[in-house]
Amino acid sequence: MGTTRKYWKGIEELNQTPEFIQSRDQEFPRSTSVDEFLGDEKLRETSTDRRDFLKFLGFSVAAATVAACESPVTKVIPYVIKPENVTPGMPTWYASTYYDGASYASILVKTREGRPIFVKGNRDYGFTAGAVNPQIVASVLPLYDSNRLRDPKANGATVSDWRQDIDNPIKQQLAAIAAKKGKVVLVSNTIISPATFAAIDTLRMKVNGGDAAGTSFEHIQYDPVSYAGIRKANEATFGMPIIPDYDFSKAKTIVSIGADFMNGWLMSNEYTHQYSTRRNPDADWMSKHFQFESILSVSGSNADYRGMIKPSEQASVLAYLLGKFGVTTGVSSQLNAAATKIADVAFDALKKSKKESLVISSSNNVAVQILVNKLNAVLGAYDATINVNNPVNMFASQDEKMNQFVNNVIGGKNPDAVIFYGTNPVYTLPNGLEFAKAIKNIGLSVSLSQFEDETASNCKFIAPDHNMLEAWNDFNPKKNHFAIAQPTIRPLFNTAQAQESFLIWGDTNNVYARGGKDSKVVYDFIRATWGTTLFASQSVLVDEETFWNKTIHDSCYDLELVAASAPAFNDAALGGVASKITAPKGEVEVILYQKSAIGLGLQVNPWLHEMADSISKVTWDNYITMNPTEMEKGKYKISFDQEHGLNIATVKVGNKDLFLPVYPSPGQAIGTVGIALGYGRGENDENIGNAAFVTKEYGGFAADEKGNRVPVGKNAYRFVSFENGTYHYDLAGSVKKELSDLYPIAATQIHHTVMARHSIVKETTLDIYKSKGKEAYNPSHMIATHDGAKPVSDFDLWDAHPVKHVGHRWGMTIDLNNCIGCGACLIACQVENNVPVVGKDEVRRAREMAWLRIDRYYSSDEEATIGLRKDKETFSYHKAEIPVENPKVVHMPMMCQHCNHASCETVCPVAATNHSNEGLNQMSYNRCIGTRYCANNCPYKVRRFNWFNYPSYKKFTQVNPSQDDLGRMVLNPDVTVRTRGVMEKCSFCVQKIQSGKLTAKKEGRSVVDGDVTSACAEVCPSNAITFGDWNDTTSSIRKSSEETRAYQVLEEIGMQPNVWYKTKVRNEKNTLLETLQVDKKVVAHNTTDNKH
Amino acid sequence: MFRSFNKWYFGALAFLLFTGSFDAQAQGEGLFKSKCATCHQPHKDGTGPKLFQVREKWESGGAKEGSLVKWVHNWQAAAATDPYAEQVSKMYPSAMSAFPELSEEEINSIFDYVDAQPDPATVVAGPTGGDTGMTEVQEEGGFSWIWILMGAVFLIVIVAVGGVRRQLKSVLNEKEGLPTKEDATYAEELRSWAWTNKIYVGIGSLVVILALLVAGYRELGNIGVVEAYQPSQPIDFPHSVHAGVNGIDCRYCHNSATKSKSAGIPTVNVCMNCHKQVSGRTPEQETKIKAIYEAAGWDGTMYSGDTKPIKWNKVHVLPDHVYFNHSQHVTVAGIDCKQCHGDMTKQKETARVVPVSELNKVEGNIKLTRATLTMGWCIECHAETGISDGPLDGKKDGYYDEIHKRLMDNDKKLYNKYLEDGKVTVKELGGWECAKCHY
Repeated sequence: MGTTRKYWKGIEELNQTPEFIQSRDQEFPRSTSVDEFLGDEKLRETSTDRRDFLKFLGFSVAAATVAACESPVTKVIPYVIKPENVTPGMPTWYASTYYDGASYASILVKTREGRPIFVKGNRDYGFTAGAVNPQIVASVLPLYDSNRLRDPKANGATVSDWRQDIDNPIKQQLAAIAAKKGKVVLVSNTIISPATFAAIDTLRMKVNGGDAAGTSFEHIQYDPVSYAGIRKANEATFGMPIIPDYDFSKAKTIVSIGADFMNGWLMSNEYTHQYSTRRNPDADWMSKHFQFESILSVSGSNADYRGMIKPSEQASVLAYLLGKFGVTTGVSSQLNAAATKIADVAFDALKKSKKESLVISSSNNVAVQILVNKLNAVLGAYDATINVNNPVNMFASQDEKMNQFVNNVIGGKNPDAVIFYGTNPVYTLPNGLEFAKAIKNIGLSVSLSQFEDETASNCKFIAPDHNMLEAWNDFNPKKNHFAIAQPTIRPLFNTAQAQESFLIWGDTNNVYARGGKDSKVVYDFIRATWGTTLFASQSVLVDEETFWNKTIHDSCYDLELVAASAPAFNDAALGGVASKITAPKGEVEVILYQKSAIGLGLQVNPWLHEMADSISKVTWDNYITMNPTEMEKGKYKISFDQEHGLNIATVKVGNKDLFLPVYPSPGQAIGTVGIALGYGRGENDENIGNAAFVTKEYGGFAADEKGNRVPVGKNAYRFVSFENGTYHYDLAGSVKKELSDLYPIAATQIHHTVMARHSIVKETTLDIYKSKGKEAYNPSHMIATHDGAKPVSDFDLWDAHPVKHVGHRWGMTIDLNNCIGCGACLIACQVENNVPVVGKDEVRRAREMAWLRIDRYYSSDEEATIGLRKDKETFSYHKAEIPVENPKVVHMPMMCQHCNHASCETVCPVAATNHSNEGLNQMSYNRCIGTRYCANNCPYKVRRFNWFNYPSYKKFTQVNPSQDDLGRMVLNPDVTVRTRGVMEKCSFCVQKIQSGKLTAKKEGRSVVDGDVTSACAEVCPSNAITFGDWNDTTSSIRKSSEETRAYQVLEEIGMQPNVWYKTKVRNEKNTLLETLQVDKKVVAHNTTDNKH
Repeated sequence: MFRSFNKWYFGALAFLLFTGSFDAQAQGEGLFKSKCATCHQPHKDGTGPKLFQVREKWESGGAKEGSLVKWVHNWQAAAATDPYAEQVSKMYPSAMSAFPELSEEEINSIFDYVDAQPDPATVVAGPTGGDTGMTEVQEEGGFSWIWILMGAVFLIVIVAVGGVRRQLKSVLNEKEGLPTKEDATYAEELRSWAWTNKIYVGIGSLVVILALLVAGYRELGNIGVVEAYQPSQPIDFPHSVHAGVNGIDCRYCHNSATKSKSAGIPTVNVCMNCHKQVSGRTPEQETKIKAIYEAAGWDGTMYSGDTKPIKWNKVHVLPDHVYFNHSQHVTVAGIDCKQCHGDMTKQKETARVVPVSELNKVEGNIKLTRATLTMGWCIECHAETGISDGPLDGKKDGYYDEIHKRLMDNDKKLYNKYLEDGKVTVKELGGWECAKCHY
């Protein structure tokens, strides 16, 4: 068989630790012995003697009998006046827009009976083209967070009358400040809403006493993670303080220096989509992606070439490349040997692709960004991949102004009033805690936060804003693109939209009045703003009403795009660069990065906390990432399991330190550590959502010595530094191993192993794919018979189910080339299928309930030469032990494969899992008696068992949203909420299949491509997942599954899955692989198997 | 007594109807219902004024001869020529439609019919059919008490007779000089009797135990079976009046049945479409309809905005793990509502789950054996129903055409097997599969 690379899922697997082998051999961890169980001290709490037991038994039998005799009366309450667009039992979709200050996407919101229950990307309109990240998909849950503020607050007391208790005192105080020419500061995240700017302007005019140029009112935009360096660099080199419009779909060569452009960096949703369109090996060309980075990022894990550098070497990579292009910068171009090699390859690629190249960097150091601009200018990218004529309006953080303001406030130089909107500086500032104390001294402090968060809890007034799903909003993310967000539900609580508050506080002529839940103030205002500005600036539609309705329908409107043109490069900017790039002072470089699920920590969302990280597969924690080779030197534990945790270390940056577990992360640059931002929320027990806090083993929150709840993870924003006018996220510090107990880690990594069977992932290079036949890179599984080798699909133990060619056969293909491992599908699956959240303790015990997981496999070129397993007898992992510092990565989504010869079906004693004639492996919960034989027998390890009653057991009260009356609103009414003791697994979204079929039936036509899709396929930003009817010969799934790259995982065991994977193709040169992947002649056979 | 009163009342009504010219009455009734009833009622003002003895009213009001007929033909023409008609035209804000096609004779037949209608407010002060039904239910309830009472009486009689017999026997024994068991209790006697007849007692108790077990097992099978379930409702809604007498299509009120999984309980605004005009003819109807007005916040002239949703009790309750879709059955399969819900046009009381025995009598229904709303009931029907029985057959049903085509093209043998009974049933296309209804 043609496996040329050794894949392993974790250090544990590579090293074959005893814990690993034990867990690998058991789908379900060994149960504790009776003695051990009874000896458990904790069980005292639940102790029951024999007589009590008999009493309970007797009572429950009697209760069950009585309860069974009488069915409860179910009430049914119809609308009094039915809204026109609501049909009970049918979803209604709204086109809207998501913007939280960092992520932006055009979205579609699904509502049922007026409740938003699902968010996905809008593939038809908007430049994000349907791409979304996990936070956007999960954003429907915070709407139903019962910790949201239900009423405004004034001086710590909950009040209900907006006019009397909020508006009047605020207006009075603002008037007094205006009269004495005092100072009012509005701190917000980057605002991209034209109407919000206009609303803020009314407030500005009021405070400035009608003087537009007045200085009494100051608006500071401040983002938790700033990209001010790019704006400043563009100002220095082109005289434009902008962030240009990058187009990754035009770049044949992408060189990213630390920038995780598919996860968090700038408009990553848009970039992910653009990037994925150029990763198809069958297209005219496939992009070549180089990544030089310190942590193993999502983008880096998808790179064709990846070099490990320290953050301080970013400038060196640029200087090295610029040097090769003949530009001298005075910056050191000294690099480590491995990175130099890759930089040489990158140079060749850049030289070849010239202006069809794109170089980016994550650094917020202006000097580094000036070097990036120079390199792009030398390549000519400003003509093609970078458009400075259509700048991005997002990420306009004014770091200098904010830093000055914060220092002033801390130093006692207070403004008279401060208003916080869409921002939480107490949490995200390095000196947030000092700032929190200082805010209390400000005469008037107002927060518009939806929660009584870290900042709001220090303010005198909290005027809670609507959730984004309850509000009208408009956005102008790029110069030519305008978008609308429309409400999908009537406001749940007594909240008011921030724009309305601005208008009312700035109202001089009593034009605006609070309208409560049905207020039209903001709607009217946005519409008026659009009518006067955008409608007037376009000439396509002549009627304002039509224009407005079209915009609402599409959720956005595009003005004509000004094409890219190269601006003149000001070489003088290069002059001072070398002096601004200084060597870091500290033993270790610390990188503050964003995890795919948590991001900046804007949402406190149990779904996101429980999503296994794209790289580490750890849930519910942040940690120090360190390369295992370095950890071995430092005598850290590099393997862990459910009973044994990881060592704890103290990271010290400046005078601050954090106490965190150390996680072995191959691919982490030596001499660097990474810490994820977005954790450690609610340090002072703020009411920001249950998921922010650690829970105890039998439910309830863990408390610290002060009685406060303990936050999940630690707040790494405290390390952020301010240098040369921008906030920096790459720092220098030290790491010290602590001698304390091991810290338990809940990772999904060492569970569900691949059992060293290498027919799971297939990979090749673009050269091999283009020049050799299928058998080279995707060899068929042949079985030797008397009549010669025959394909495995020719052999059947049982009669086949009649699914092929008859009726429907639902199938899926997953293109490993396109899957970037972002995790949007994981959240979509959780939302669509009512998958419970189980909390850290249960995940640690391998009892996570996710129907869909993304297996992340590390590979290593070095091992490929040894680990080919030509001689199975002598092969051992230990002999194959090689440096694993910089592995290649494959992300592989894994869910029920809906095998046509499913091993789970044959072992179920009650036929609770069986096969449908449409190829689905069906699971009927009501029949399941919980023997778990099926899970034991599943080679893909995709079945999940309900160990507890997650919707009611006390252990999950804090973590599982379905235990909350409000949180329950998010449940999909078409999918059963499972009870304790039954198995569950991916159903191929059978509820969506059924409804897609029904739509076709009602319209009297056959099912066509696109009628039926799964939740994971629907949200995939890179279109890696194709779903459809395989029996429809024209369907895209059929075509996709018949491509030469398509294979079935573990095909040799003859399960005949309905899921195909497509071989990953890296656009790299790999001579070793070329010698190993050789074309063979095989007996021609039809993989699609006609014999049934 | 009530029933006999009703009989008397209906008899009187029939007598009244037959005393007039039957043909004219029938003609008048038909015309009234088709042309006038939308706005007019005999004894009550609605959109238009009440019509009872309207001819006499006009005459005494001083209207010109023939002016009323003219009014019906075209009210504007009448108002122009007759001052009384002009006065009438100002009484109501809404203008009456013109009916030039009605002859004078026809118009008079309408008025004859209207005048023959008794005023329900004065004539019928007693209860209606609905109440009679309730009384019957109460009588049925009394029955079981009678049984229990009779059982108790019989038991006492048996014990008493047994005591007497024992006394007699002991006396007899004494007389014949046999040994008597003076101190033998009932239990001891029973035991000795059982011992002497041990074979019969053994067989008997075996039969009793087996019967109990079988009955218990069958009873367990009935847990959760909601056949004939008929919960009380906040408003005693008579389907017989709406769907029966008035002939309203089921889907007018249950309008999402064609589009959605749920048929939908009519929202109050749907009720108000008609009940804005129809406020009831009897006090009893008026109280019922007032409940709708209260829910809608309608004070007789306008909506106050103060609404109060009606909390109905759900009749057809499926367990949470069952997915049922009305539109699949109504729109795609073309099943008539009554095939599963029985003939609601005759349902005078609140809705109920119609037992399968009654459903089997519905014309065109497949005869089923399992209780309504059980899974057995569903799949029995799925096993028998042909996919191509619906109205979509051959006309616009591209969906099943494609499925049949794939069967024919790719697995003719299987298709022929399916067709052995002359049809492709729902079951054969997967209608018995778990994940069609459970997910």
